[in-house]
Amino acid sequence: MPAYKLTYFNGRGTAEIVRLVFAAAGISYEDVRLEQDKWPELKPKTPMGQVPILEVDGTMLCQSNSIARYVAKQAGLAGKTPMEQARVDMVMDVMDDMGKKGNAVFWEKDEETKAEKKKEYEETFLPQFFTCVNKLVGDSGHFVGDELTLADITYFNTTNLVGNYFKLPNMEEFSGLKKVTEHVTSNPGIAKWLKERPETPF
Amino acid sequence: MPTYKLTYLEFQGLAEPARLLFAAGGMKYEDVRLKREQWLELKPRSPTGHLPILEVDGTVIGESRAVWRLIAKEVGMAGKTLLEQARADMIVDSIFGDLTPDLAFFWEEDENKKKELKQKFVEKTLPTLARFEKLASAEGYFVGNSMSWADVYCFYFIDVVNKLIPGEHLKGYASLKRVVDNVSSNPGIAKWLKARPETPF
Repeated sequence: MPAYKLTYFNGRGTAEIVRLVFAAAGISYEDVRLEQDKWPELKPKTPMGQVPILEVDGTMLCQSNSIARYVAKQAGLAGKTPMEQARVDMVMDVMDDMGKKGNAVFWEKDEETKAEKKKEYEETFLPQFFTCVNKLVGDSGHFVGDELTLADITYFNTTNLVGNYFKLPNMEEFSGLKKVTEHVTSNPGIAKWLKERPETPF
Repeated sequence: MPTYKLTYLEFQGLAEPARLLFAAGGMKYEDVRLKREQWLELKPRSPTGHLPILEVDGTVIGESRAVWRLIAKEVGMAGKTLLEQARADMIVDSIFGDLTPDLAFFWEEDENKKKELKQKFVEKTLPTLARFEKLASAEGYFVGNSMSWADVYCFYFIDVVNKLIPGEHLKGYASLKRVVDNVSSNPGIAKWLKARPETPF
């Protein structure tokens, strides 16, 4: 089994999806949390000047979704066939879009514009978005097939992160998404991680 | 052999990497190009409300990267090992996430803002190609020693930049020039580049 070393800042952010997949997969890894003053030294050594990075077999991977998919494949959590895998990827992409839109609002510099965009994101975008994504959940309560995949975990993680800053709509209305969340949070590895993970500002 | 139906608008746009990959693999597919009104009618029935979509024997997949990756696998260009696949993914994600969004200047309606964003793209975004120069091999491959969808997507990005901002953007980037050459001289892709409809983006 290769040694895995994940490096990010001391927070959930874009590394958390990887940590959740490691937890669900039951694969151990070194969870390195960088102090801000150590980052300038590491930055030029990374492929894109960004974290998270995963070091494995003497190579460095970047881009959280790429890393998450790589780890998920080790444990059969990325979809069993190319079509299932494509469906997992589709859900990851659409959640990525939701996260990026939220990020854009978060980083808006003008206070008045930010308040407007936050309201639009919460009151218009999110309800429409969750309505659409809810339709992608199967009767099994999973996005793909009838087992946990990276699609379910990505949905849970992005919604969880977005919900820390934005007001989510009433999620009780989305019965499919509710089932996905239950499946994810009751996965033994993930449940343990959610209890044990450090409390951080982001 | 499965049947493939790719649906997009009447542009190269986000469907073009898919078309390039099909061409590289010499695979037949139905290349559906919708008018805007036709898309708006189909949209509520699409998986995620976005184009392109790919139907494989009737099963529909949405979201561009998911579509491109699926086709890459079908044509054997997704990477040979899990690590190679992750490397291809990270190259595509980096270009898609960090560089491509800044092309939005093209659609900016305010002329002053458009000029500003275009300048920002040239001065701040394009120089980040230097990172990709380091990651491409001297032979012109991002992954291993054969063409992958990472190379094809990089080619696509440079192609779009050349279209929107004519100029020599790969000056000093010998490896990236090799990537572009390898892709454009792939027999299937070369044939497609000659035959494909030219569109504004």
